[in-house]
Amino acid sequence: MAFMPSRLALRRPTTALAGDRQMRALALRMALGLSLLLVMLLSLGWGAASGIDVPGALAAKAGIGTASLRDMAIVWDIRMPRMVTGALVGAALAVSGTVMQGLFRNPLADPGLVGVSAGAGFGAVAAIVLGGFLPAAIQAATGAALIPFAAFLGGWASTLVLYKIATRGGHTSVATMLLAGIALGALTGAVTGFIVYRASDDQLRDLTFWGMGSVAGATWAKLLAAGPIIVLTLISAPFLARALDALALGEPVAKHLGIDVQRMKRLAILSVAASVGACVAITGGIGFVGIVVPHLLRLVQGPVHRLLLPNAAILGAIVVLLADMISRTVVAPAELPIGIVTAVLGGPFFLWILLKNRAILEM
Amino acid sequence: MLEAHNITVAYGARRVLDGVDFTAKAGEMTAIVGPNGSGKTTLLKAITGEIGASGVTRLDGQSIAQMSPADLATRRAVLPQSGHVAFPFTVLELVRLGLTRGFASSSATAQDTLPHQALARVGLSGFEARSVQELSGGERQRVQLARVLLQIWEPVLDDTPRWLFLDEPVSALDIGHQLVVMQIAHDFAQMGGGVVAVMHDLNLTAMFADRVTLLDQGRVKGVGTPKEVFTDAHLSACYGCTLRTNTPPPFGGPWILPQAASHHPNHIRTSAGAPHS
Repeated sequence: MAFMPSRLALRRPTTALAGDRQMRALALRMALGLSLLLVMLLSLGWGAASGIDVPGALAAKAGIGTASLRDMAIVWDIRMPRMVTGALVGAALAVSGTVMQGLFRNPLADPGLVGVSAGAGFGAVAAIVLGGFLPAAIQAATGAALIPFAAFLGGWASTLVLYKIATRGGHTSVATMLLAGIALGALTGAVTGFIVYRASDDQLRDLTFWGMGSVAGATWAKLLAAGPIIVLTLISAPFLARALDALALGEPVAKHLGIDVQRMKRLAILSVAASVGACVAITGGIGFVGIVVPHLLRLVQGPVHRLLLPNAAILGAIVVLLADMISRTVVAPAELPIGIVTAVLGGPFFLWILLKNRAILEM
Repeated sequence: MLEAHNITVAYGARRVLDGVDFTAKAGEMTAIVGPNGSGKTTLLKAITGEIGASGVTRLDGQSIAQMSPADLATRRAVLPQSGHVAFPFTVLELVRLGLTRGFASSSATAQDTLPHQALARVGLSGFEARSVQELSGGERQRVQLARVLLQIWEPVLDDTPRWLFLDEPVSALDIGHQLVVMQIAHDFAQMGGGVVAVMHDLNLTAMFADRVTLLDQGRVKGVGTPKEVFTDAHLSACYGCTLRTNTPPPFGGPWILPQAASHHPNHIRTSAGAPHS
């Protein structure tokens, strides 16, 4: 055994860093950041209209040189809000997924688990089909904002109901929340189904497209309404990082490590409900981003949330922007709903991860 | 000084703990023993604030119910019985979770080196890069112990003792590592910290504990030194079997009782990736 110390000494440089994946995560963040920049520019240059001078239009806004009115309109009024929406929604979905998985201590948890998707779907469907029955004054006042507003309200309300059901004596049971979510989902699904059954053909078409998600309808106005909520939750997520790490060892251990577990749960659930609700409101349902992105990153850099959350935001933005570019291309000049693209890409990819790492099924 | 007075915990109509008084002194190792279902773990959970209980628990004069989780975390660390980890942390990443908010003022060097020292203490140097989920049960228990030790690395801080609560710390360990872990707990107490451990192994308890509280059916059946509490009558009554202390076994077979940790913990498992030998 005398040779052991010297052998150890030789390996010192690697052992000193062994087990610490921070450098790897930071290098990955650099690479992802550069990729995001590239994808953002590509997204601006990508579209039905050809011959657009994108750099010129960008520079003109900053007062450098000039660009045609048409170029300015297409880049700044159509593509820019669409690109920013895609990036924000992608970041929010991926971060929300990461937070939910940490909270539920399960790598397969999805933002939808807190009931926000079912509730938002119900709100949107109700607005599309029953909106016409509202007094004319309300219809005029809300206009196109009615559907997103109803979706946000529905998502938020169902999460609050679930949270109330699962909280007793100051303690929120994550398992109860999950089970109650299934029951509440079935219930809202039934009511939604009934409303859909009563819908006209035109409304059915609206419903179908809404359900599959799209960033095509993005406008500065919508972004102005939903953006602040999304940005707020993105900024608050890192404050949950230490608590999410501790929670991986179970709620008692997290508490012993000094985490105010109940406060943290409330913050996590409400911020996810708000940000996913806002996302669903402006783009409809975009699936799989919240599950696949954090999972993929965990394979590369491990589960430490301080490093995971920012990278998830960046990769989520990249994935949604890429999916949007694909959705604009495959059936051009028409557009495919983006939810179809993320499902077609995400589904098989997710199965591949499962088959490759069967161990996670045992968790 | 840890003082718990009149602790009662009921699950429904069943009283798991019924008016238990419990004290432990800093500088000593206090063991909680008793048969299965006697309320040992429940008592530990009650005095660490993990579960609600009627009665009062004071840590050095201060009621734990009035302390914030963050404050409590700087005063005491708790090693739970089961250590399921939801995500594939590396050993180093997991131990670093012991760097709680109290370490915010510590130097970067300390924050870098202490996790490695904690791992060395439990004999897991070289395991830093291993995934926690791939470790054996005993190795995982020692990783968790390293995390807990790191959390209260100095047994006495600012003249205030810190407390180590252990729930069956040796249940998954082989006889060699049982001694290592008991020695760690003993040393922590020797340096002025307080140790409270739920124990199953009466021999190890007799070797290392300064004081013992014997529980049965949610009530205290004995308090004192191991010598005072571990009498034939006491133990036989509580454990429901005939027990003889200090007598060779009647069947004449080998009789194995650990004496002392003969190795430095690091030498029990030498280095990175060493096979289970």
